[in-house]
Amino acid sequence: MGQVITVTSGKGGVGKSTSLANIAVALADLGQKVIAIDFDIGLRNLDMILGLENRIVYDVVDVMEGNCKLPQAIINDKHSKNLSFLPASQSKDKNILDKAKVNSLVETLKLDYDVILLDSPAGIEGGFEHAIAFADQALVISTPDISSVRDADRVIGIIDAKSLKAQQGDEVTKHIIINRIKPEMVERGDMLSTDDVLKILALPLIGVVPEDEKVISSTNTGEPVVRDEKALSGEAYRRIAQRIMGQEVEFLDLKAKKGIFKRMFA
Amino acid sequence: MSLVNRLFGAKESSASTARDRLNIMLSHERASNSFPFLDDMRNDIIEVIKKYTSVENVSIRTEQNQNIDILEVEITLGK
Repeated sequence: MGQVITVTSGKGGVGKSTSLANIAVALADLGQKVIAIDFDIGLRNLDMILGLENRIVYDVVDVMEGNCKLPQAIINDKHSKNLSFLPASQSKDKNILDKAKVNSLVETLKLDYDVILLDSPAGIEGGFEHAIAFADQALVISTPDISSVRDADRVIGIIDAKSLKAQQGDEVTKHIIINRIKPEMVERGDMLSTDDVLKILALPLIGVVPEDEKVISSTNTGEPVVRDEKALSGEAYRRIAQRIMGQEVEFLDLKAKKGIFKRMFA
Repeated sequence: MSLVNRLFGAKESSASTARDRLNIMLSHERASNSFPFLDDMRNDIIEVIKKYTSVENVSIRTEQNQNIDILEVEITLGK
């Protein structure tokens, strides 16, 4: 039986889809059979980040409305045979998803895949509720800025209220990913540190991803940065995937690159 | 804070300001978020009381101490 992992954040633009794409690729590279599903109906983006936008014929709404069979909508990744992708609908109403249909889709996929990664839309409305309802695990992404931390806190507070697992007396496992941290700003005291964010959100950390220009260039080309052996952010995502698999891996030592002057007087 | 910053009298870091503001805001927000069922419960209570007598208003206050949450329900009966 596969496990369902939902990537969520509350606030938009903190790197949900980017993180999900990279974690999906990294998990597939670890030998897991992974399917990434975009639940951001009407605003799909995961397709371009994964570089699979040209292969889309049907989408998740087509599957639910019975316009096609599930295997017809599932897209195989270009590089990894372990990775599949189910796109969001771009044209249809975002309120079209229905809880019972989402449930049956997830249950069907659990039989064929080890990990089902759900990309939640920003916000705490319908789309988010569908993405979190059947989750076993939630990865809450926050950047070290005030609005993002505040929204993450709000989302953490309502995950259990919206989840089936919690209604059955169990609990959704929750972890924090801190994204786009700038070590030099943290050292200057101008950015919340990893510890600051964790103290506020009071959940265990599963990854710290540094701000990295390579994330942007890799999104430009549709090749998730995790495939770039040399990228620090890629290494951060590889380690997150290992931790999801239960391995104990050290966290990246993110230190600012110092100039000579600073090094002499620090 | 590094020696350089101290020598040149750097001002208080903005991160610590962010920390304080977030802590104050979130302690407030969490208190109001912890009973998401409050409205539904209030309506249910009104329904139950209606079965037996007339009800004018039900007000529910919440209070949180370190270890316990308190719900204070005040029912105003109609004449």
